[in-house]
Amino acid sequence: MSFTRRDTLRLAGAASIAPLLAACAGAPPPATESGTFTIYWNAGHDYKAYREVIAEFEKAHQVKVNLQKYQWPDLRTRLLADFSSGTVPDLVEEPGSWVQEFALSGNARSLQDFVDKDGQAMGFPADWLPATVERNSYKGEVYGVQLHLTCQLLFYNKKMFTGAGLEPPTTWAELLTVAKALTGDDVHGIALNQDYTYLWPWLLQAGVRAYDAETGKVMVPREAAAEALRFQAGLVHEHRVSPVPVSSTDYSGPQKLFAAGRAAMIITGPWDIAPIKQTSPDLELGIAPLPSHRERATQLAGTSVFVPLKARRPDLSWDFVKRITTARVEQAVTEEVGMTMPRTSWAKLPEVRQNAELKAFADAFPHAEDPGSDVRLTGHYGEYTDLLKTMYQNIVIRNRPAEQELQRFAEAAEKAIRG
Amino acid sequence: MLSHRKPTLSGRYARTAYLFLAPAILFFGVFFFLPIGNVLSTSTRTGPQADRFTGLGNYARAAADPAVHHAFLVTLVFSLAVVAGSIVLGLALALALNQPLRGRVAFRVALLVPYLTSVAIVGLLWRNILDPQLGVLNRVLGELGLPPQEWLNTHPLATIVAVTLWQGVGYTMVLFLAGLQGIPEVYHEAARVDGASGWLRFWRITLPLLAPTTLFVSVMAVISGLQAFGQAYIITNGGPGDATDLFVFHIFQVAFDSRDFGYSSAQSVLLLLVIVAFTVVQLRAGRRGEIQY
Repeated sequence: MSFTRRDTLRLAGAASIAPLLAACAGAPPPATESGTFTIYWNAGHDYKAYREVIAEFEKAHQVKVNLQKYQWPDLRTRLLADFSSGTVPDLVEEPGSWVQEFALSGNARSLQDFVDKDGQAMGFPADWLPATVERNSYKGEVYGVQLHLTCQLLFYNKKMFTGAGLEPPTTWAELLTVAKALTGDDVHGIALNQDYTYLWPWLLQAGVRAYDAETGKVMVPREAAAEALRFQAGLVHEHRVSPVPVSSTDYSGPQKLFAAGRAAMIITGPWDIAPIKQTSPDLELGIAPLPSHRERATQLAGTSVFVPLKARRPDLSWDFVKRITTARVEQAVTEEVGMTMPRTSWAKLPEVRQNAELKAFADAFPHAEDPGSDVRLTGHYGEYTDLLKTMYQNIVIRNRPAEQELQRFAEAAEKAIRG
Repeated sequence: MLSHRKPTLSGRYARTAYLFLAPAILFFGVFFFLPIGNVLSTSTRTGPQADRFTGLGNYARAAADPAVHHAFLVTLVFSLAVVAGSIVLGLALALALNQPLRGRVAFRVALLVPYLTSVAIVGLLWRNILDPQLGVLNRVLGELGLPPQEWLNTHPLATIVAVTLWQGVGYTMVLFLAGLQGIPEVYHEAARVDGASGWLRFWRITLPLLAPTTLFVSVMAVISGLQAFGQAYIITNGGPGDATDLFVFHIFQVAFDSRDFGYSSAQSVLLLLVIVAFTVVQLRAGRRGEIQY
């Protein structure tokens, strides 16, 4: 077979524009015709309790709800394409860091007028943990409402601890001692996550702030950040009490090792309770506060809902927000899947206080902090987190010197934030 | 005074030809050239909405950005490894399966199946095989008393090159097989009569006459290597660190993580220019080395 130069160039030209298309092509527009109410939702959050809310909403407004489910990265790609095309959904669930970002970029609608009108009746913001209102506000106005509230705690295998005569560790030093004692044949004392977001509890406990707006510096104090990173790398490479994490888009590796009885401890949140119980019903799960260092802290996380600025019927969107965040629905979702919730009244429910796992989270929420807020308000959160991922994996997976990587990260992140 | 001349025959042919071409022109215009124009235009703007004109600012920024340089270098190494591997393995398999072996059709089909599978499925498959803690391979190695592998951590770029080759080598093999079957047997017979060994015949007849196929394979492999995305996205997420930060994956992150569509568009245009440059150089070099008997 032979190809002329023209043929080959033609093929080359056609093939080479694929990335260009990938960069600029938008997703097909959502169904926003009259009578359809489009919601973008996380694929793992399609609960029966929410389906009941949707049915009530459809009946009340004579609309058909088009619930489109995505994994977070796909949801973001789709949403950004929608923002570019101007055809947006009526409501979006987001993973906890997008509300301020999209408020800042002019893509999210302020909900303050609705909050002023209906807030008192729905208990917003009075009944929501203050940090959850703060992370969904921009320039004093509310842009999103927290739907789920989560944080990371220490999950441990009770049987392994009892067998070794150990108690859950309360400090980093104890964590290392306990992990060494539990590491053995095909079992690691702890399994660290490859996902950089699991770095935050360690940094918060070391007293590190992601960004200081006054000085323009990231990761302050720097030495404390280096210490937290060195400690994690030490667990993997020096003491070998954690397997080397593997870079991927999946953050469930440690949970799978834990459920298989191959890791005695993991640091994770309530999203891993159900998978552990489903795959290993005999595993005795213990949940304890995170071992602390200079401070007792964990990362505040969880999803929120917001309304895109160009949503055609914001009053309808707001009504859906009200319905899906009622105390009754929160309680139903907790009963259904054990999800933890942002209302302060939720933390006081008897069902929560009497459940050891839920209570552990409810008690930890007052110590939970959102580390990303200061960075999000710079408008450079995406660049910051991409650089953070590289730094974290270079240290924890590739065992590169923490100080050197931290310095490289700081220079690049500060430059990005300066614009 | 108006003249009412009848259209000439060639004019009528041209009109008919344009009518037939119109759907293709429309398709390429809407789905190829308009987006390219859009990307070119976006590459001169900046901001989350790509609404502030910055001229060639994004191009200057890319030229000075160490992350762009790194992604380009990673992609270059990846592409060259894929090109070399595709040619060597594809040709070796084609030579083997060009022999009158029993079951060679089944072998050919088996080797082509991965090429027909989506990169997402192939990526997930190998991710699940190679995962050091949870993967199948280490379980098998353990059963055999062999030490475990951690290639996704220790040799991530080589690993995604190997997966890419595993997926694509069947297609390359088919191209080389077609090329081999296009070489007249008379050349080999004449060489045999002259006492040429099998090795000499391969170097002096087979390989030179496969030059057009080799050129095509290398051009396509360079293009697909420079455009590779799924391997980094599915298997390694660009990591560990930035070890597998392929250029298109980097562009994707700039666009959809950092929301810098202007900058990502500029990088897309730069990639297009690099691909065109590589293709032209390869074609010129290939033409120079082409042999006719």
